[in-house]
Amino acid sequence: MTSLLDVRDLVVVYDTPRGRVVALDGVSLDLEAGETLGIVGESGSGKSTLGLAIGQLLPWNSRRLSGDLSVLDLSVFGGDDERLRRLRRDVLGFVFQNPMTALDPTMRIGRQLARAIGPRATRDSVRALLSRVGLAGAGRIEQSFPHELSGGMAQRAAIGMAIARNPRLIVADEPTASLDAWLRDQILELLISMCSATGASLVLLSHDLHVVSRYCRHVAVMYGGRIVEYAQRETLFRRQAHPYTRALLESAPGAEGPDGRLRPIQGLPPVITESSRGCAFAPRCGWMKDLCNDVRPEMQLTRDRSVLCHRAEEVLACRSGA
Amino acid sequence: MSLIVRGPFASILDFARRDRLSGIGAVLLASLVLLGLIGPVLPLGDAEEIGVGPRLAAPAADWLLGTDELGRSALPRIVEGLRATFLLASMAVILTGILGTLVGLTAAYAGGIVDVAIMRLVDVLFAFPPLLLAILIAAVLEPGGTSAIIAISLITLPLFVRVVRAVALSIVERSYVIAAEVSGAGFLRVIVFHLLPNVLGAVIVQLTYALSIGMLVESELSFLGLGVQPPDASLGSLLRLGSVYLTAAPWLVFPAGLLLAAAILSVNLLGDGLRDLMDPLRGRSLR
Amino acid sequence: MRIFRFIAFRLGIALVTLFGVSIIVFMAVHFVPGSYEDVILGPFGTPETRAIVRAKYGLDRPAVEQYLHWLAATARGDFGTSLTTGQPVAAEIIRRAPATIQLAVMATLLAIAVGVPMGIASGVTSTSQFGRTAGRLVGALGASVPVFVLGTIFVFMFSIWSLGLTVGGYVPLFEDPLTNMRAMTLPVVTLSVFGMALIQRTTRDSVLSVTSETHVTAAVARGERPPDIIRSHVLRNASIPIVTVTTVYFAYLLGGAIIVEQMFSVPGVAVYVVQSVRNRDYLAVQAGVLLAATVFVTINILADIVYALIDPRIGGKRSQS
Repeated sequence: MTSLLDVRDLVVVYDTPRGRVVALDGVSLDLEAGETLGIVGESGSGKSTLGLAIGQLLPWNSRRLSGDLSVLDLSVFGGDDERLRRLRRDVLGFVFQNPMTALDPTMRIGRQLARAIGPRATRDSVRALLSRVGLAGAGRIEQSFPHELSGGMAQRAAIGMAIARNPRLIVADEPTASLDAWLRDQILELLISMCSATGASLVLLSHDLHVVSRYCRHVAVMYGGRIVEYAQRETLFRRQAHPYTRALLESAPGAEGPDGRLRPIQGLPPVITESSRGCAFAPRCGWMKDLCNDVRPEMQLTRDRSVLCHRAEEVLACRSGA
Repeated sequence: MSLIVRGPFASILDFARRDRLSGIGAVLLASLVLLGLIGPVLPLGDAEEIGVGPRLAAPAADWLLGTDELGRSALPRIVEGLRATFLLASMAVILTGILGTLVGLTAAYAGGIVDVAIMRLVDVLFAFPPLLLAILIAAVLEPGGTSAIIAISLITLPLFVRVVRAVALSIVERSYVIAAEVSGAGFLRVIVFHLLPNVLGAVIVQLTYALSIGMLVESELSFLGLGVQPPDASLGSLLRLGSVYLTAAPWLVFPAGLLLAAAILSVNLLGDGLRDLMDPLRGRSLR
Repeated sequence: MRIFRFIAFRLGIALVTLFGVSIIVFMAVHFVPGSYEDVILGPFGTPETRAIVRAKYGLDRPAVEQYLHWLAATARGDFGTSLTTGQPVAAEIIRRAPATIQLAVMATLLAIAVGVPMGIASGVTSTSQFGRTAGRLVGALGASVPVFVLGTIFVFMFSIWSLGLTVGGYVPLFEDPLTNMRAMTLPVVTLSVFGMALIQRTTRDSVLSVTSETHVTAAVARGERPPDIIRSHVLRNASIPIVTVTTVYFAYLLGGAIIVEQMFSVPGVAVYVVQSVRNRDYLAVQAGVLLAATVFVTINILADIVYALIDPRIGGKRSQS
């Protein structure tokens, strides 16, 4: 059976001037058509690398060490440039963090949209696309350059370019991080409505667990280049099997303790230079025991979720934080 | 920067190993500088002695790179010339680097009318074609090493001032500079302790570019006979004399020309590598 | 509207710059050892004849008055007469201008024709270690060979195999194009190698920095083809630094191709100015240097207008300096 997105044990590293950095340390993931998946992680967790890998848009100083990533059964690492290009053009749509840098600063919006639509673009199809993304201000926006638009309008235009050819899968990496807070919901609503209107799947990458779970049916939590917990959003919110997921929820606004304070996660996210021997979260984890440093946890499938923790059952069983 | 943290020697080696071209540039530059420095004590023969061999003799065991029109051995003269070129250009460039950095920092930090005045003055310097400016200076002050140094300084000064000012402007607004001001740090203190460390990287990169320009300008001036004056020699003046006998004695021209190009190349390779290190331009594959 | 304000602003700065240049040139020339009397009369001047010369050139008046007088005359296009030949300086410069302009234009065009494609190629191949190294090496090599070394090599080579090219023997382009080209090819090539390297390096860096931007990743993500991406999204965005260095290079060639003009006996303006420096022909030096600087700032204003055409974000009071 053909799945839309199939990631198998993907390991991606960057060669930097300071040495090798492991960005993805064995990621596996499946996505069916029509799904909405939110991927949550701090910066450095590997979520952006995963997002770029979906279109094989990784920077040239990165290397895939092992594993694979296929979209509609085509491996993006297969080396067939022409097929990859067709995949990007017809199946995938990308939305980036900052619309001001994701749009060509020297080209008018109308022309950029027309290029995204393809050779059969007309004035009318550009206008139609603009009104689909809520920019029906005819003429004026077409003639504008990106710097003449507000951030919210620019992101709408960028979303328009991403959906111009009705992709099957939209990947949005922090699409609202550079926008004012009050615009956030508008833009995410737009993305979701575009997906449900066309039946496209959505992969939404964000650092904000609450935002992700408001818009996506499934949530994957990433830490240290691995997916540490994956479940439906209701399941995840009810109870967390991974200490990191729990810590994320407890450190987010709205989860203040009795003293009115948030409990930030102690320590800093890791920069890993080789595949972790044990659990990457162990140094910051309240549940840590010797095993966690020495034995690499493998993904366990439980009744309602996948989790990457030696003590998952104990964590699940425990109601409050450690 | 890891350059400073890990101890200079280890990180220089590391840098040279990762970036082959810069490594080659650094090794080439170091050996040429060394050659210039220890040249006088090497058993190459006397640079000044007339009549070591016949006039315009082809290379032979006793005069490895031939002899010039006065029968002087060419090899020690080339080493002398290399030394003069390096010495003049680097003296000028180091002086200018210091001056330009201070002026650029002052412009950025003082702002207002001081900034405008400095930048317009820099515009004026930049508006002169470099070699023409150098020739004018040589005419005002007698041709020679001093006027070459002043010319190189005035030509390369805009490089430092503009870059340092641009980098410093981006930091002046930052909180720690404002914090330093609030806590009562004076003008000089802010410049030396808060701005200077942050522009050093950019200054080092500009130093290499300025050195390459300085060597070009010095050799061009000397080639025109307006640089160092006989009996002193620089690579440019050797080429000037040699080109008279170009077809009769090409050995007077090509080794000196090659050495000059190699010296400038080594500086350029190193400079490109350093700039890459400070400001990596990654680019992306379009496929 | 905004563009006119922008141009007016740049014009103002250019005038200030030229004012500064004129003061420096005037002062410099007055500090050159020797005096008008020495140049004109040689060792045979008597106190009386010296006084006549001084009065003729207004040297007996205060320096500020001399300066203003000179500036006013220059602004009218009157550059004075040569102290050594007695001929008008302006006429001599106009006579020599075509050779200099031809040299500069051809060398710049050749440098662009070679440098831009090479820069684009090394920019987009810089994603491999080999491409990166090759691009950097080529650029560094071209920028490291002094023009007189290259010229000497060419003179030597073509003294053995002439290939129909000549060293010297310039005739004006429109008089005899073929002979002109035979004489101009070597100087043009010699002069343009540095420009090729300069433009290649700038283009490479600029292309690299544009392809590092998100909007290029976005274009790749939309499945656009590499040649389309280069044409539509990279070139325009990368062109401002290229225009900048090409402009500076061209402007300096117009005023400073001294060595090449001299080596290849091209009767241009630069050699004239340098000869004038040697002959202490003060008025010719003043005129020549000020002219070179004027050409420089004028061409830079044109470049500013080109920037505003290339990049819609430019045009306000955004200063380049």
